[in-house]
Amino acid sequence: MRYLPVILLTALALSQIYLARTVSLSPWAGGGFGMFSTPDAPRNRAVRAYVLTPGVRREVKIPDHLSDAALRAGAMPTDARLTALARGIAEIPTPEAVTPKAVVIEVWRAAYEPLSLAPSPRIVKSLEVLID
Amino acid sequence: MTDAAARVRAGLRRGVDAITGMSAFDLALRLTLVNLLLRPVGSWAVRPFTVALAALGLLAPGLFRAPFLWLGLTILTGLRVVLDWPLPDNHAYLLFYWCLAVTISLVMGDPGRLLAINARLLIGLVFAFSVLWKLVLSPDFMNGTFFTVTLLSDARFEGFARVAGGLSEEGYEALREFIRGTGDAYGAPEIPPRLLALSTFLTYWTIAIEAAVAVLFFLPLRLAISGLRDYLLILFCLTTYGVANVDGFGWLLLAMGVAQAWAGEGRGKKEKNRVRLFYVAAFLLIIFYGYYTFSRLL
Repeated sequence: MRYLPVILLTALALSQIYLARTVSLSPWAGGGFGMFSTPDAPRNRAVRAYVLTPGVRREVKIPDHLSDAALRAGAMPTDARLTALARGIAEIPTPEAVTPKAVVIEVWRAAYEPLSLAPSPRIVKSLEVLID
Repeated sequence: MTDAAARVRAGLRRGVDAITGMSAFDLALRLTLVNLLLRPVGSWAVRPFTVALAALGLLAPGLFRAPFLWLGLTILTGLRVVLDWPLPDNHAYLLFYWCLAVTISLVMGDPGRLLAINARLLIGLVFAFSVLWKLVLSPDFMNGTFFTVTLLSDARFEGFARVAGGLSEEGYEALREFIRGTGDAYGAPEIPPRLLALSTFLTYWTIAIEAAVAVLFFLPLRLAISGLRDYLLILFCLTTYGVANVDGFGWLLLAMGVAQAWAGEGRGKKEKNRVRLFYVAAFLLIIFYGYYTFSRLL
């Protein structure tokens, strides 16, 4: 009990490393003290959403009311977070006026070539969520 | 000496005596509360309550040692981490651990000693995990990519990057567009050698000082060299938070540093007072960092 803060810090930091390795948690997030070690910060990740209707795959802009969910999903792209975001996206009316068959959520980060620093996109995770 | 100069000198003397006469524990708690007022944390659900508790702690004599006040701050800073998870910055977690450490110290007795031990271990662990990420887990740090990319893409570093890297506004903009992948696809600009040298220096300086702080905070206090830990932590804060303006983190580390600064064999009263004054001076200097930024030199 006397050293509970020390135990908590250690436990959470170790679990953050585990989550970064297993579910692509951003090294900046989760309390593992990985900030300022990589450009792969949550706000540097891009979350893209695509609505699939019969014969059409259309990218949709993530609306403001889902931006926080998108940021969290980008920081830690678990199936649960991406699915919740996809279901939110599915509620946006489509120009085709049909219910989407599925929504694809993609999380991207930038990778940099060490010498030239030329950026190139790298997919962190992609998930297709079927909409009932 | 004129009367005015004598009065100023006497006033400064009183200030110094007040700081050195206070226990390390009390000074650490006060600095933490000042930190919470200067850099309020959390969203609307948490922020007004933490600010109110911090203000109350500083206003009412003796209240800053009240366990209920620190229990409240522990709950609020913990709630902030939970509500914002996984997005809070690292120091949000550290602030929660720190408030918890203060609460436990106040409740369990021998608060000065218990808080000092927690402070030393927490600081050592923060720097150890930070070094672990930079040295082992991240492929982008030791090759200089992180600092070069950050200097060119993070708005908080623009002033420093342009002043220290010798970049014109146009040159900086072109490089930033390139790093963001929005520039001219056919003309990748060459990264200026001075900027690369700056990135290399920052990379090695950061890893060296963070590793040194981690090691010194874990060393047994009976070793004379462990006495350097305070100076290194202060140096880290002074050099880091002038560039990376994360003042709340700097203030928190300094408040924690104060709590353990008294500990150590062979430390005379004079040295303890000097270390404590350095901590407070660094705390005050970081306030100025927030206003006198590199961007003002452009």
